[in-house]
Amino acid sequence: MKIQEKGSKIILFTCNWNAYSGLEGAGAEKRSYSASVHPIRLSCLGRITPGIILKAFEQGAKGVYLVGCLEDECRYETGSQQIREIFLETKNLLKLLGYQDNQCQLDFVAAGNGKSFVENIHKFVKGIEELEENL
Amino acid sequence: MNGFKQIVQSNRVWLCLDCGKCSSVCPITRHVVDCYTSPRLLVETAIGCGEAEVLDDPLLWSCLTCNQCTEICPSLVSFSDFIQNVREAARDQDRSGDCTHGGMIQTWGRMMTDPELKQDRLDWIGSGLKTSEESDTVYFTGCLPYYDAAFEKLDIEGIEIARSALKILNHLGIEPIVLADERCCGHDQFWQGDMAAFRKLGEANLEILKRTGAKRIVTTCPECAWTLKHTYPDTIGDSGMEVLHLAELLAETDLLDNLTINPDTAHKQVTYQDPCRLGRFSGVYQSPRDLIQGLGYELKEMDHNREASLCCGTSCWSSCGQVNKKIQVERLKEAKSSGAELLITACVKCQIHFKCAQNDPVLEEEVQINIRDLTTLIAEQL
Repeated sequence: MKIQEKGSKIILFTCNWNAYSGLEGAGAEKRSYSASVHPIRLSCLGRITPGIILKAFEQGAKGVYLVGCLEDECRYETGSQQIREIFLETKNLLKLLGYQDNQCQLDFVAAGNGKSFVENIHKFVKGIEELEENL
Repeated sequence: MNGFKQIVQSNRVWLCLDCGKCSSVCPITRHVVDCYTSPRLLVETAIGCGEAEVLDDPLLWSCLTCNQCTEICPSLVSFSDFIQNVREAARDQDRSGDCTHGGMIQTWGRMMTDPELKQDRLDWIGSGLKTSEESDTVYFTGCLPYYDAAFEKLDIEGIEIARSALKILNHLGIEPIVLADERCCGHDQFWQGDMAAFRKLGEANLEILKRTGAKRIVTTCPECAWTLKHTYPDTIGDSGMEVLHLAELLAETDLLDNLTINPDTAHKQVTYQDPCRLGRFSGVYQSPRDLIQGLGYELKEMDHNREASLCCGTSCWSSCGQVNKKIQVERLKEAKSSGAELLITACVKCQIHFKCAQNDPVLEEEVQINIRDLTTLIAEQL
């Protein structure tokens, strides 16, 4: 069953700059993605904390997808490096809590690349759907 | 919800109005500079003012519940219990303490209340350590695997404490049960006044523990030990099992009698931080000291020790700021001035908070002292 039909939610955290422009690009190009995906735009993905990601799961999200800017394109210089560290810490906590590897993922996209953005979302959603089918 | 009047009455805190000894030892009173706050003043507010004033009192969420006040109290008032009761009532009005660490620790605690949760928390055991399905002893790991993941940057001895505990227990011929579906004990939820989460965690743990058929619970966390031994029977139910911190268990054994003292540790000067829940709450002062001396160390006491020991500066993750930092720095400076080159503690949270304070680049050498857990030091020498 499609995740959308089950009413499951996937939270997509994106950086305000390059990453979000990918999402805007997808909109401008009329590319669609699953309605289960709820994008939340942050000033910088490096601003997120493991607590915020865990909170999404606590409130019932089936997956949390983090999309940031390429390392040498970070507007704040260190945000992309910070999110890598935060992501690893969170993954270790989620593993202990029994969550699967594909329920929280991190990707970096170039500015305005709507096609690649939507492909990444499709891939992430498919991973969650497969996981739910195997439960 | 208990009314504030009832909380005042049941904890007999009116006795505080004529005294104030508590306020002379309270570390928060000593370090808050922008206003005056003290246990006695909070009691006065609770008796003489409205609920809103009590809920806004800076001590309500910054109190460390370290029990220094109770230790000195001539009337045996438990101010910590009073604080816990008021926090519980404050929760009903949607009030809470600081959201420290982005709420991460509170959140994973609440996630563990899910009865369907299937944790993957035993990877740390690895090879060489023996556990069993049936034993008269349960080793209660607590949140050590989680702290290990969350505070990796501080280079704490998180899961190493658990590995060391298993090594010591195996050395004593004990192959304990280690629970795959153990939950957080709920200590922090209880002291934050979050009774809904605390009850769920406690009920889940009691069910799992009773199912083992074991007679004894051993833990390396003083907070787990206190909660399982006292808070569960007082609020949820009794496991019927003996609960011991590892230091208490080892004091009853001859583990160190036949130990060949490592020449590296012989006569090395060390000092010991009494964790609040092990010291003032449980009265376990001598066993850790005997173990430290049994390892060949020369114990140098800090100015404040045993009943007068200072807290590591933060409790139940409900406050973290300038005042907490000042307490941590005060304690680290005290440890250094004792002449010791190693600070030993028996609680992972003391280690987390001290190591965090040591990260301050401004303080540098003033607070730099090596910090280790008693359990890992013992295991190293076996």
